[in-house]
Formats: sequence, structure tokens, C-alpha cells
Amino acid sequence: MSGFAARNKVAIVGYAQSDIVRRSDQTLGALTIQTVRDAIADAGLEVQQVDGFVTTPLFPSFGSHVAEDGISFVTARWLSQHMGVMPRYMESPQGQLPSGVALAVNAIVAGAADYVVVHRALHNPQGSYHGNTSAEARGADQWGMPQGHFGPITAIALAYNEYVQRYGVPDGALADVVVESRKNGARLPWSYWHGKPLGKDAYLGATPINDPIRMLDCDIPVDGVTAFVLTSAERARDLRHRPVHVAGYADMLPVNRRIASHWPYDEIMDLGAISMQRLCDRAGVGLSEIDYVQAYDGFAPLVYFWMELAGLCPRGEAHQMVAEGGIDSDRAGAVPILASGGALGNGRMHGTPQMLECYLQLSRRAAERQRDVSLGLACQGVPNMGGAILYSAEAF
Amino acid sequence: MTTTPRPVPVPDALSAGYWEAAARHELAMARCGTCEAYSHPPDIVCAKCGSIDPQFRFEALSGRGAIRSWTMVRQALLPGFAGDVPFLLVDVELEEQAGLRLTGRLLDGPDVSLKTGMGVIVDFEDIADGVAVPAFRLVHA
Repeated sequence: MSGFAARNKVAIVGYAQSDIVRRSDQTLGALTIQTVRDAIADAGLEVQQVDGFVTTPLFPSFGSHVAEDGISFVTARWLSQHMGVMPRYMESPQGQLPSGVALAVNAIVAGAADYVVVHRALHNPQGSYHGNTSAEARGADQWGMPQGHFGPITAIALAYNEYVQRYGVPDGALADVVVESRKNGARLPWSYWHGKPLGKDAYLGATPINDPIRMLDCDIPVDGVTAFVLTSAERARDLRHRPVHVAGYADMLPVNRRIASHWPYDEIMDLGAISMQRLCDRAGVGLSEIDYVQAYDGFAPLVYFWMELAGLCPRGEAHQMVAEGGIDSDRAGAVPILASGGALGNGRMHGTPQMLECYLQLSRRAAERQRDVSLGLACQGVPNMGGAILYSAEAF
Repeated sequence: MTTTPRPVPVPDALSAGYWEAAARHELAMARCGTCEAYSHPPDIVCAKCGSIDPQFRFEALSGRGAIRSWTMVRQALLPGFAGDVPFLLVDVELEEQAGLRLTGRLLDGPDVSLKTGMGVIVDFEDIADGVAVPAFRLVHA
């Protein structure tokens, strides 16, 4: 295998999840500080012991909003300034959550920091989330906006329609994905959708916005923060919770150069396959050994894409597996890939539900959802630009 | 209906040749002076040969291609489109080069039935004085 030196050298030792709400009474910065303090306390540590902060601060709106640190997103620098600590390590990389986890792991293995908080803070701004009032299209925008090609929903709709046409997916098939996420999310006390499962008829009756994508195929923008505390596997042994090791990671890849928000299906899958191979090489495990997969569902079709990339079924067959009840968390023998509630069942939390579910299961803190699993794969983002992390209950 | 204009492309050093041709209702794309590959959008570096001095020249294309995907856009997230929705946005692979794709509105209206591989030809929408934006029409066999 590769000479990946970080395999199982770092562990998650605590977490906190804020309530996920449509619009918080607190500014995002305040909510972040509170959540990070809670995570540090959950790990049994003091704030002053934390010497690293990492986050992926992306504010994923295409709308006409003023993006401000501490209000619309929260960088590691902002957090360090406002937590009253002087960290040894502080980074806010581009990319998605796996890039943040990867940097935190690297920093700990390198000895650049001993206890690193990885947080993700997401904000729902006032007004239309993606609505854009630009009269002019400059730079990268000039290649799409003038013809009405704009934003991530259009991008996903084009990619998913390729899949639909190629594999003969029936209209409305995604209902089973969204209903499953919402069912699981409704059971989580912190979820925006707590207590509000979705019926299939309600899904099918909802507004189509970018056929074949309906409004309910998209996660709802929210205010919310998730934070995790990571440290070395050695230090983790002495802490209060059972540690969950980072066995391997695959972080952001460079997407093919095209106009903005244009990701042809084959390019999504080809790059996603590279990511999965990289992850397996680093962790030294094969996909078939992974016994718990949490798929990313910020847009419902991504669940099909991740299922196929994770080897749960052949290409083009995920929709059949879902239609046959293959991901139903209440069905014995099914693969409950949306047990976390995902983004569709929690709100737009960008991959933290998948990471949190893997952590809770592998640390044996999942309460009534607890399953006997040992290797958890948390997928995030669109596979050509997201990433995945493999977590392990035991170091190996 | 709205009278708000659509977002107008602002040409820059890399894109001027593209928009000049479009204004004449001609589809011209950046072609590398070293390897002859088209790049869309034109970039600082040739996507195929990696030249950092690709000496792009804008060459006319046939405008013909095959539909690879489409979506019915029902939500006007940009100014100037409120009167246009719903419309079909098509993702077209142009015949000159494998993988060379251009997206545009399908001007045949929202009610046509599409299939992957259907032929289209480029057309243009005049959205402001001297500004035209590529779009497509179905080619009927």
C-alpha cells in the first residue's frame, strides 16, 4: 500500500451539535463559539488545551449576499481571535469538510498541534439563498449567467438527467431517497426537520424547480454548527469517550475545467472513483470491508452517485436498490446509508451529519440507533469535488 | 413579464474574441496555437497541451452538436429571466471535439420532447445592443 503515515494515528474524542434552525437568534459566530466550547467539554478538555482550529468556511451561496466572517461563515482565524486562545495551528482550507479533517489529521501527526477542533458553521442569509441580482456577468460568470446557466441546482439537474436518461430512472424515483432522509432526520432532536417526516405524496406534489430536480431534492438552508475534537490516538486513550480513528481520507480533487456549475455525470463519477481509490489505498482496506456507509445528500441524486462509488451496487443500479427498500434504516438487511438524516433530513449542514453519524456509531454513542459496526465511511459533496473519510472503531 | 435586462457578459482579455464573434451571430471558440485543441472557456493555460502561452485564436465552429443533457429551468434566479421561465437549458457536445461542451437555452420552447443525442445547431439571442448570447435550436432530420 501507499506510504500513508497517518492511518489511525488520529482520533475524534468529542463533539457537539447545535440545534439546526432556519434562522438562529444568535449570530453564527456566537453559535460557533458555544458549540466549540461544548465539544471541548464533551471531550473532557479545557479550552486552553486546544491548540489547533481548522474549518472549511465555504459559504455556498450564489446569491447577492455580503459574506462576512463571523456572520455568514466562521473561519479558524475568527474563531481563534474570539475564543481567547493562541493556537499553534490554524487553517481554513478551500474545499469541503474532508479537506478540514485531512488538515487536522496532518497537523496532529506532524506534531504541529495536539488537540484540534474541526468545526463547520453554516448560515442561512436573509432573502433568496441563490437569487442573484447582477446586471453584468464578469470573469467566470460570463460563461454561464448570460444564457441562464446558473448555480448548483442547474448543475446537478444536468448531471442527474444524464443518469436518468442513461439508466432509465423513472420520474419521481428520488422520492424514496428524500423520504428516507426525512424519516431519519425526524428522529434527531437537533434536526430542523425533527418530528417532521415527509410523505411520498407530499414529495411528488412539491414544486419542480429544475426538472428532473424538485425543490425537496435540495437541502434547506439553515443556521447550524457542528464541532469535533481530534487528537492523537495515544492521547485519545486517556480521554473519557471511546476514540474513533481516522483510518484514511480523500479530500478535494481539482474538477475538470469547464464553465462554472457544469459537471457532466461521467466526470463526477470518474473523479469520485479516484477519490475512493485514494481513500482505500490510504486506509489499507477494500470497499467491501466497510460495514457502515453514510452517503451525502445535499442534492438527492448524489445519494445514487455515492452508493455506486462506495461499491454498494453497480453503476446505474442505485435507483433500483433504493426502490426495493435497500437503504431503509428500519428494514433488516438493508444498508442504512441515510441513517444520519443527511442534509435533506437535518438541513444544509454540508457533510457534518454523515461524519457525526459515523462518530456516534463507532464511539458507541448512537443510543437507540446503535449498530454493531466497525468501519464507517462518511461521504461529502459532489463526488468530483467533495471527498470522503473512513473512520474506524479500532486502530489497525 | 419583466423588462429587466439579462446579465450582460463583460468581455475581458481572454473572452473578447468570443463575444465579438457572438455579436455577429457566429460561434467561435479559443483554439490553442500549439496543439489546436479548443478550450471553453478559454483559460490561461491550454487544457490539453498545458501551454502557458497558448496564443488562442478564435475560430468559427459549425455550431452543430448533440444534446448530452438538459434541464427545465422553472425558477428565475437571475434578473431578466422571469419572462423566459420555464425554459429548457441544453448541454451540448459540439461536433468539432470530443468533450467540448456548450450550454444554452433551447429556443424551440419548453414543450418539446428531448432525447440524448438529438442534433442541435447554435442560434443567438440578442440581449442588449451589440450583445448576443449563444443558444440552440433542434435540427430536424
